[in-house]
Amino acid sequence: MENTVSIRKSAIGTLAVSALWLVVVLAGMFFLLRYSQAAGLAARPPLQWPGTSLVPRPADRPVLVMFVHPQCPCSSASISELERLMAGCQGRLSAEVLFIQPAGKSEEWARSGLWQAVAAIPGVRARLDQDGAEARRFQALTSGQTLLYDAAGTLQFQGGITLSRGHEGDNPGRSAVAALVRHELSNPAQTPVFGCALEAAETPNGCVACKP
Amino acid sequence: MDAALKQRANELFQADEHELHKHTDQLFAKLMIIQWVAGVAAALWISPRTWIGDTSEIHIHVWAAVFLGGAICGLPVSLAWRQPGHPLTRHVVAASQMMISALLIHLTGGRIETHFHVFGSLAFLAFYRDWRVMLTATAVVAVDHLARGLFWPQSVFGVLTASPWRWLEHAGWVLFEDAFLVISIRRTLEDMFEVAMRRARLEGTNVEIERQVIERTAQLSAAQAQLVSASRQAGMAEIATNVLHNVGNVLNSVNVSAEAVAGKVRQFRLGRLQSAAGLLSENRAVPQYLTDHPQGRVLPDYLGKLAADLTETQDAILEELASLRSNIDHINEVVAMQQAYARRSGVVGTFPVADMVEDAIRINNAALHRHGVNLERDYDTVPPVLTDRHKVLQILVNLLSNAKHAMDHNTGDKLMSVSVKPAGPDHVEIIVKDNGGGIAPENITQIFSHGFTTKEEGHGFGLHSGALAARELGGALTAQSDGPGMGAVFTFKLPVNHPDIR
Repeated sequence: MENTVSIRKSAIGTLAVSALWLVVVLAGMFFLLRYSQAAGLAARPPLQWPGTSLVPRPADRPVLVMFVHPQCPCSSASISELERLMAGCQGRLSAEVLFIQPAGKSEEWARSGLWQAVAAIPGVRARLDQDGAEARRFQALTSGQTLLYDAAGTLQFQGGITLSRGHEGDNPGRSAVAALVRHELSNPAQTPVFGCALEAAETPNGCVACKP
Repeated sequence: MDAALKQRANELFQADEHELHKHTDQLFAKLMIIQWVAGVAAALWISPRTWIGDTSEIHIHVWAAVFLGGAICGLPVSLAWRQPGHPLTRHVVAASQMMISALLIHLTGGRIETHFHVFGSLAFLAFYRDWRVMLTATAVVAVDHLARGLFWPQSVFGVLTASPWRWLEHAGWVLFEDAFLVISIRRTLEDMFEVAMRRARLEGTNVEIERQVIERTAQLSAAQAQLVSASRQAGMAEIATNVLHNVGNVLNSVNVSAEAVAGKVRQFRLGRLQSAAGLLSENRAVPQYLTDHPQGRVLPDYLGKLAADLTETQDAILEELASLRSNIDHINEVVAMQQAYARRSGVVGTFPVADMVEDAIRINNAALHRHGVNLERDYDTVPPVLTDRHKVLQILVNLLSNAKHAMDHNTGDKLMSVSVKPAGPDHVEIIVKDNGGGIAPENITQIFSHGFTTKEEGHGFGLHSGALAARELGGALTAQSDGPGMGAVFTFKLPVNHPDIR
């Protein structure tokens, strides 16, 4: 009799521990999911291509500008999506990827693995953005920030081309850019951007969404 | 089908199933730890740090891999260690395995390739051979996709406006694999039950065999008891044969001695004594008769010679009687020895070799004299031997008797020699040599066999038992002959101190 009670207590204890474990694990998964869905600060780019920019803009086709933090692990997904985008646009799009080189950081630091990945994409040029001058010029704040200007230099798209932090896959940003390039979409589009902050000074205190 | 057989098969099947579940739990416990380490390694490789401008900190994915991954793996590992084989353990393992898939997919940035972990895990979970476990795993995947589809469709379907039923498509692929796995599980379970049935049948056969073995063993025990009894009787017959043989040898000497005594007694000159007594009774005046009568004057000399003659005869009789007594003593020894043999113990002590040889000669002495055997002795100085005296005596008496018999048909001299010599530091040799009939080369290897004899009235027992006795004493009995008519040499080798003799 005592043995049966003991076994029953043990079974209840195990079930309780299992239930607690399930709660803890689900909470962890929820937190992780929430983190991955937290977008970075959106850019406030100029509606017309800034004349002071040192980035060349072709007059015969749209140009895509992407700002990347060289060490941001989430931006690997953005570059992979860019590669898919360029493959889909078949030479109808130019792309410039600007790697931020903060003051005090070497060129080697900026020419990271992401740089090598970008350099390997046909039709895409990787550039160093020393001290983030171009990022400030275009008011980009988050790694993976993508801007699309048409042949006339008018802003058509701003946002990210991933669905969440570091996650590859079909996403509205990439679809919008592709549609704009193919003239399947006439209105400018905007999507959230996911990635590390390009500059610390631009990260407001207390903003959860801004935390990388 | 026999209900008892089926019940036993069920028991065996359940025991096998339980062992399988325990074993698989332990496999998954190891796999969980490996996956945890792999998750941490993946996080450190893919997203070690997160950046804000030029400053960085450890990426939240690393912490998630360590702590969330540790939490996911912790409970199944603990249950597999504490409650292996329990149903809850494998269901927790199944749920954990799917959660690890989700975590790894997240840590690797949603790579399509990492999604294969889900399908690999299902195959691995099929090791449990329990379709319910597959159901748990599938339910976790379905609920995960349903919840994400409802609240964050972009996190799992890649689009913001997925169909509310799209989770079913994802779960459907899992069910697609499940279908094959469940069929495989069912067939495996059928095979396991078939094996259990065979084992149950085998157990039944074994029980029957054991019963028969017990029965046969009892029969064998009874047969063995009968055999032991028969052997004992046979052993007693062998002892009797041995006794008769050895006593027979001695009785020959006893006969010879008795015959000699009878001959001597017959030689008593009682007639002459009666004549002398008659002369004395006829002549009452004895002194005058002894001095004056011519017969009376020689009567004292005559009586003196008669006394001397009788004394000589008496000595011969006494000598024969001594031999007779010795022979009778040996008969006692033979009988006592056989009794000791029957009891597996003998008379053990340290004895001078020459003394034992002389005893043996004395037993055969009368026969040797009667047959005119010329005996030579050659005793080297050897240490006394620790041995069974009666067995040695049995062997030597037999060797001397055989040598005497071998010379029965000699036309010339009958020469026998007995010598004692050292043989190495630890052995002595007693060599009996004769110039009798010898041994044919084809017989030299058979003479120690039981039942082999060349004598007309032999039994083929003496040399056989002698060789066995020599071996028991730690020694050996060997024979050598140059052939028929060339005599024979028998060598009895004996250890000075045989360790097993005590």
